[in-house]
Formats: sequence, C-alpha cells, structure tokens
Amino acid sequence: MGIQQQKAKQMSYGLFLSVAEELKLPFLQIARLAEASQSLATDPAYKDIESTAQSALRLVDNYILGLRLNLMPQTISLENVSVSSVLYNTQQQLDSFAKTYDVSLDLVVAGKFGPVVANEQALQAALVSLGAALIEALPSINSGQLKLQLATHRSRYGIVAGIYADTRQISQTTLKAGHKLASISRQPLVDLSHTSGAGVFVASSILEAMDLKLGFSRHNNWYGLATILQPSRQLQLVP
Amino acid sequence: MKILLVEPDRLLAKVYRQALESKGHHLVSASTAQEGIAKVDEFKPDLIILEIQLVEHSGVEFMHELRSYEDWLDIPVIINSIVPPAEFNHSFKILKHELKVSDYLYKPDCSLKTLLAKVSNFDPVLK
Repeated sequence: MGIQQQKAKQMSYGLFLSVAEELKLPFLQIARLAEASQSLATDPAYKDIESTAQSALRLVDNYILGLRLNLMPQTISLENVSVSSVLYNTQQQLDSFAKTYDVSLDLVVAGKFGPVVANEQALQAALVSLGAALIEALPSINSGQLKLQLATHRSRYGIVAGIYADTRQISQTTLKAGHKLASISRQPLVDLSHTSGAGVFVASSILEAMDLKLGFSRHNNWYGLATILQPSRQLQLVP
Repeated sequence: MKILLVEPDRLLAKVYRQALESKGHHLVSASTAQEGIAKVDEFKPDLIILEIQLVEHSGVEFMHELRSYEDWLDIPVIINSIVPPAEFNHSFKILKHELKVSDYLYKPDCSLKTLLAKVSNFDPVLK
C-alpha cells in the first residue's frame, strides 16, 4: 500500500472513530430519556425504544473498541478469564434487546471449564456484538424457533465459546462470503441478515486484535459462530 | 441528600435531575469544573456525581482542586462518565486511591436505576 493510500486509510479511520464517538451521545440520550419516560407512561414502546437505543449504543461502542485495539494492539492486556462468566454477562446484557425481537437466549455451559487467556472486556464486547447481530437476524430468516444458545464446549483445539441457532443459514460459506464482501456490499451476510450484519464484523475485528478468530462452529447439532480460546497454562499448574 | 451533578450535557443533566429529585434528593448542577468547584463552596453537597470529560478543565482537574481543600476531603464522589473505564486505567488508580473517588460508572452501561441504587448507598437516611 502506498504512503498516500495509507495516509487516507488512517484519516478515514480517524474520522470514523470521531463519528462513532459522536454517535454515542444521542443514543445515550435516547436510552436514558426512554427509561425516564417509563416511570411516567405505561406504553411498552418506551421499553423497546430504550433497548433499541442501548443496542445501537453498544454496537458503536464495540466498534470503537475494535478500532482502537487494532490501531493500538499494544494496549491489550491478556488475563485469565472465566468463559462461563463472560457468557453469563453477555446473556444479561442482551436480554432486553432479545425480548424486543421475541428471541429467547439460553445459556449452555455444561461441564467445568478452567480459565482461558483473553482480555475479558474485549471478549465480552465481541460476544455481545455477535449476539446482537444474530438476534436481529434470527426472526427474518424464520428458523421456526426464535432461540439462541450462548454456549461453550471443549474441542481438541481449545475451549470453544460462541452463539448458536437451529438454522443452517449460519454456515462456513455464509461467513466466508461475508468476510469477502464486508465493506463492499450493503448486505454481506446475504443468507443470514437483512442488514449489514455489522455486529458480526465488529466481533471479528475485536477477536482479531486478540489474535483470535471468529469461525463457524457446531454445538449439539446447532449452528453457530464462535471463537477458540486457549486454556490458561499458568493456572493449570495450580493443583 | 444534597447532590452536586457536574454534567456538561444539558439533556442528560435534565434526565438525571428528574430521576434524582423524584427520589427526594436536592440537586444542584454545574456544567464545567470551575462552576462545579464554586457550587461545592456554596452548596456543601453530601455527594458529587461527576463526568470526567468536561470542557476546558477535566474532571481529574476538578478532583485535584476539590481534594486540595481540607474541608472537602471527605465528600464522596461518583464518576459517571462516557469515557470507558478501560481507557482510564492509569488515571483511575490515581482517582481511586489518591483522589478518593468512590465509584466509576460507565454511562452506556449505567441505567438510571443503577445510578439511583449507587446514590442510595451514600444516603445517610437509608444507611
């Protein structure tokens, strides 16, 4: 890439970053105003306004986090993280948004998993972004049951943590095509989402900053997007 | 309880004011660090809710100024900010230990309900 191109890329990153930062405030205002209005009115729409604004705010916030981590990877500190607790917190954060779409979120953490190496805030942000994108997508692909599983299991490559649905439209092909079309097409995950599916790419960029990958995965015959985390060797030495 | 809210955004200040006043708190607000310090002197708050990202002088400067007066050393301060705590790593340690900040709330994650619950921890009537 030429110097001129690199400069333009950096400038557009900077501009995106400041636009995204700016967008946080109006979303925050909408979310808090809607929350305040709920005590004055009984209209359930206020609850939806709040969770929609909250979700938009989270997307912008996680986008900023991904961008910052990729621009300054030296700022990422890796620590011992409990996958179960990250999945639980993700479920809590997405709960209200999921209700807006009539999607139910199940936590499936069967078995004991030791700590993994990651940055907790970044891992959680990635899973929340991914979850929000799948919640939004699920009703439009009409998979029958509007249910997502936040699940983890052990594989020979490490601890797999991700979000799963009972639909074949989440596939390796969809994800691969999506990555190729991201930032070119208006609808890169055309088989999965009616939107730009930004949450999936935000999740992917946050994970990449931690040297992790977002990939296709299966869990109990469900199809999902997940990442493979390495168990913390440091704590394995503790009896 | 007497609360000083240092919040630069007018709309958010209005929402926080309504929520806090609905719980019987007496609220005074300021939009800059200088105005905040003047209000501390005038109003003698029991609690300060502070945004770090202010115009001209930051919330950290406000804290340094506040804690430089012996009479104000024990006023509890809750940070309620749009700046993510992760971007505040180093300074937050200083804020907590040297400047005695009681709590750091991240606005996008902090609903009005959570804010009110945190504030009630400082209410001598409810303690």
